[in-house]
Amino acid sequence: MFASMRSRVRAWITIGAGTVAAILAANLLGAFGALPEPEIPVFAAGQEIETGQWRVTPLRAFVTDQRIYDAPIREGQKALVLEVEMTNRTAASTTDYFTLFKHGLPVGEESETPFVMLTRDPSMTPELHPAMKERVAFVWALPESATSPGEIPFSVNTKTYKPIDNLYGVPGWYNEQELGRLVIPVSEASG
Amino acid sequence: MIGHRLANLAILGLAAAICYGMQTSKPHYADLTGPIPVRGGMGDDVKARLFQLRVDKVEFAKILAVSEFGKDRTLTTGGLWAIVTVELAATNSTTTISEATWQGPTGLGYRETERLAMVSGLPPFTVEPGLPARGRFVFEVPPSEISGATLLVSNERAFALDSQARITLDGLRLKPDGTPEMVADIYDMDEPIQ
Repeated sequence: MFASMRSRVRAWITIGAGTVAAILAANLLGAFGALPEPEIPVFAAGQEIETGQWRVTPLRAFVTDQRIYDAPIREGQKALVLEVEMTNRTAASTTDYFTLFKHGLPVGEESETPFVMLTRDPSMTPELHPAMKERVAFVWALPESATSPGEIPFSVNTKTYKPIDNLYGVPGWYNEQELGRLVIPVSEASG
Repeated sequence: MIGHRLANLAILGLAAAICYGMQTSKPHYADLTGPIPVRGGMGDDVKARLFQLRVDKVEFAKILAVSEFGKDRTLTTGGLWAIVTVELAATNSTTTISEATWQGPTGLGYRETERLAMVSGLPPFTVEPGLPARGRFVFEVPPSEISGATLLVSNERAFALDSQARITLDGLRLKPDGTPEMVADIYDMDEPIQ
């Protein structure tokens, strides 16, 4: 009885290992490349978006050549402004929002990181405290020739919470990925 | 023969279970090297390793008035401004106290505000032994995070194996709903610290 049982187990293990090896080989050869990618959600202005750390509502976007919210935009540059309301969902004050929005304009490295200004009074890089909603402006410096307004697609990014990271064993937010796209009309106006 | 094998399997399973239990119950590195709390209440002299701290009073305001570079400015907030007046002393060498957090009753941490850049009497405080100094920590907190709050003070923001003063804010005068009895309309940061 046990002998037949053992041969049966051995057969199952062989079959299982063979299947796993076949799937791995197929994956390596790119058999799953043709699977449709999951559709990316599209958000609109006024819609509340929940990323991991933030609850954020985009309000308006505009391009201006005026000085706006005291952001340090140099002469010969324009400012692309995205105004949002955001609430810190974590348990600690943080400024981890620089990559929350990325604009889809092909305008070089220097304009990728926005200045983040509090609209209440122009403080740069304000720490946002837990469960306190604040109105904040993301300001990107663009070359003067950069854009004709219309619609600028923004990607909205999120991070994943890890209770223990691999290096220091501390909790934190890692592995940024795109949560969705924000499509918002961009007007040529000064706020 | 088969009984022997089953016993081996059982021992292997037991060993795996013990290893898993030890792995999951192991204290994290961050817990082992985290702050060493020194507790106290309002009005107590709380002795951390490098400094001594006493919370004298906590005031609340809707608006802060400051003058920066000779210009007057008012700062509003979505919650309330909490102004904590402290007396600080160094233990045995000059030390700098720069980090304070208002921890609400549910554990939400509100760091001291960085919106007041050029105002005197705010952290970082450098204190010499034998020369106590007074200072103010300023926080933005929602009214719901005031009752049952704790003030956490340390030399630096990131540190390992050092003490952190944890002062239970037990002397606040609050209404039955947990919000403060006295909220000033405007708090003038240029007034001398009393």
